[in-house]
Amino acid sequence: MTNGTSTAAFPGARSAFERLNPIRAIGELSESRYWMYLLLLPSALLITAVVLYPTLYGIQLSFREMRLNRPDLGTDWVFFKHYARMMSDPIFWVALRNTAVWVTSSIALEFLIGLVAALALNRDLPGTKLLAVLILLPYFLPNVVAGHMWALMLDPRLGVINDVLVRVGLLESYKAWFADPNTAMAAAIVVEAWHSFPFFTLLILAGLKGIPADLYKAADIDGAGAFSQLRLITLPMLKTIIAAAVILRVIGLVNSPDLLLILTSGGPGRSTQVLSLYAFQTAYKDFNFGYAGALSVVMFILLMVFAWGYIRLSRFNQE
Amino acid sequence: MTTTFDRRSLLKLGAAAAAATMLPRTAFAQAASINYWHTFTSQSEFAGLEEVMKLFAAAHPDIKVTQENIPNPEFMAKITSAVVANSRPNVTMVSSERFADLLAMGALTDMTERIASWDRRADFDDKRFDSITKDGKVYGVPGFTFVDWMYYRKDWFDEAGLAPPTTLEELRQAAIKLTDPSKGRFGLGMRGGPGGQNYIINVMAAFGSPVVDATGTIGLNRDKAIEAIDWFSGLLTRDGAVPPSAANDGFRQVIEGFQTGQTAMIWHHTGSYQDVASALKPGVEFATLAMPAGPAARIARLAYAYNTITSDQNADASWEWVKFWGEPDAAVAFLEKTGYFPASSVAAKDERISGNPMYKAAAETLEFGIPQPSFPGYAGWTESVVLPAFQRTLIGQATPEQAVDEMIDGLASATA
Repeated sequence: MTNGTSTAAFPGARSAFERLNPIRAIGELSESRYWMYLLLLPSALLITAVVLYPTLYGIQLSFREMRLNRPDLGTDWVFFKHYARMMSDPIFWVALRNTAVWVTSSIALEFLIGLVAALALNRDLPGTKLLAVLILLPYFLPNVVAGHMWALMLDPRLGVINDVLVRVGLLESYKAWFADPNTAMAAAIVVEAWHSFPFFTLLILAGLKGIPADLYKAADIDGAGAFSQLRLITLPMLKTIIAAAVILRVIGLVNSPDLLLILTSGGPGRSTQVLSLYAFQTAYKDFNFGYAGALSVVMFILLMVFAWGYIRLSRFNQE
Repeated sequence: MTTTFDRRSLLKLGAAAAAATMLPRTAFAQAASINYWHTFTSQSEFAGLEEVMKLFAAAHPDIKVTQENIPNPEFMAKITSAVVANSRPNVTMVSSERFADLLAMGALTDMTERIASWDRRADFDDKRFDSITKDGKVYGVPGFTFVDWMYYRKDWFDEAGLAPPTTLEELRQAAIKLTDPSKGRFGLGMRGGPGGQNYIINVMAAFGSPVVDATGTIGLNRDKAIEAIDWFSGLLTRDGAVPPSAANDGFRQVIEGFQTGQTAMIWHHTGSYQDVASALKPGVEFATLAMPAGPAARIARLAYAYNTITSDQNADASWEWVKFWGEPDAAVAFLEKTGYFPASSVAAKDERISGNPMYKAAAETLEFGIPQPSFPGYAGWTESVVLPAFQRTLIGQATPEQAVDEMIDGLASATA
C-alpha cells in the first residue's frame, strides 16, 4: 500500500519502476531483433569454450617457443620461426608427400570397396542382413587392435598372409611387408582400407535406400545397362553423401596417426612418415610443442582448403 | 527455553567437532589408494608385478595399489599430458633415459630426505642412484635393473664347433656361418625397428663414438660413428646375416625369431630371460653371454627402472610402495617371474640368483656395465633421428656417411 501510494503520488517514479521490471524487460526484449542473439548466447559460449579457445590456443602455441624438456629456453613469442624452419625441414616435405599418398590411396580404395559392398547389400538377397553386420565388424575394432592384428597377420615369420601367399605360389618366401620401403606404405593402406571401408558402405547404403526405384525402372525401359544405371543414376544421386563421406574420411585420415604408429612408426626410414605422425612425435618424443603446433596449424589449413575446394567442386550444398 | 554455552562446554564442543573431522581422514589413511603407472607388457612382467603386489598387500593391508600399464611407445605422451593437466599418478616407473626429460618438465618429486633416512639405503650401491640424481637431489629408487646381455643358441654353436663370441667381429663371423636362408635361419636377430635405437648407440660407443664422452661432452666422433654404422648395417646389406625384416623388427619380432629357431643370437637384457626360457631349454638349447667387445670398448648398459613419486597426494603410502621394491623377497620374487635383475646388492647375492649359472653373464656385466647417456632431448633424438637414419642405411636409402651426418645435425638441433 505504501508503495502504491507513493508511486501514485509520483507518476515519473512509477514509469521508472515499470521500466526496471525484469519480467516486462524480458517481454520487450523477446519481441525485439536482439532476442535471437540472446538465445544463441549459451551455445556461443559453449562453442567458444570447447572449440574456439583450444583452436586459438593451438594456433598461438605455434608462434611461441615451447619445449617442455627445455624450460631454460622460456616460452617467448618466436612469431614465424617454426614456419620458417618447416620450409627447410626435409622431413616435413617427405611427410607432406606421404600424407597425400596415404590419404588419396586409402580413400580411393575404401570408396571402391565400400561402394561394391553397399551395392551388393542393397539387393536384399537372403542373408544380406547378417552380411551387413559382418561387413561392419572391422569398423567396430579400435585402430590399435586392428593395427596389432594386421601386424601379426603380415608378420614375416609367423604371418598367415605370407603363409597363404607362399602356398598358392604368389610368393617364393615370406615377405617383410613393413620393412621394405616399396611395400610398407601399400601394406598400411590395405590395412587402413580394410578397417574403414564399412564407413563408406554404411553411408552409401543409406543413400541407396533413398533412391526411388522408379528411376531404375524407367532406365530399364530406356535400355540402360547396369553400368549406365550406376553412372547416370546411382552415383549422381549419391553425390551429396559421397562428398560428405569423403570429407569426413579425409579429416580422419589426415589427423589420425595411430594405425601407422603401430604398424611402422613412420619407417622404415621415413617411408611412411605422415604429417600427423610427425606432429605427434615432435610433441611427445621431442617435447617441442611449438613446432608440433606449427605442423598442426599447417594440417588445419590444408584441411580447410581441401574441404572448401571439394565442396565447391562437388557443389552438393547447392542442390 | 534458552541454551547457554559456557567457555568450557564451547571448548568441549570444539574438540568433539575437530575429532569428528579427523575421523574420515584416519579412515582414509587406513585404506590409502595409490595408482602405479608402469610400462610392463609381457606376460612374465605382469606375473612378476602381480607377485610383488601380492607380497605388498600382505605387508601393507592398509594400502591399495592399482596398477596401470602404459605401453612404452605411448608412455611419454601419457605422462606429458598427465603433467600438463596435473592429473599425475601417485607413483610412476621411470627408466634412466627418460629421467632428464621428465625432470625438466617438472614431473618428479624430490625424494632425497626419504631415501637418506631409509633403513635399506645401504643395500644399494651409490652408483644405482646416479641416473636419477640431479644437483644432489634424488628423485627415485631403483626397482630393478636392465642388465644388457645376449642369448645364443648353444646347440647350434656346439653343432657348428663355434665358440661363443667375445668380440663384435667374432659375433659377425659366427652370424655369417650360422646363416642359412634356405632353412629360414639367420645369425643375429637385429632390432632395427621400435626400440632398436639403443643398440645403434651402443655399437657406435663400442667403435669409439660415445654420445657423451668421458669429459661429459655431447657429440659424435664422425669417423668412428660411420665405421660403426657401416659395420652394423653391413650385417644385413653385405653379409645377409640378419633377417630381411630387421628394419621393422621390434621386441616381439626379435624375441619370437629367437624362440622359434629363426635366429642364432639376439641382444636384449635380463628381463626377457623367462620369455626365452619358456620356449627353449636353458643351458641346452640356449645360453646367455655378456655383450662382446667392440674395437674401442665393451659396451653393455645397466639401466634402471626407477620408481618415483609423481604426486603429492598420499605421498607416504606411495613411499611405502616405492621402497617395497627394494625388499630382497620382493626383488627375488620379481626376478623369478621375469628375469629382471635386482638393483639391491643384498638381493643380488641371494642364493636363488648367485646359484644359477645362467645369471653368471649378468653378474659379469655388473662389473663393466655403464648407464645410458642422459640429457634433455636424448630420448627424442635417438628415437626420432638415430633410428630412422639407421633404418635408411638398412633399406639402401642412405650411406653410413649420410646417416651419421643426419644424426649429428639432429643432435645439434636437440641440444641447441
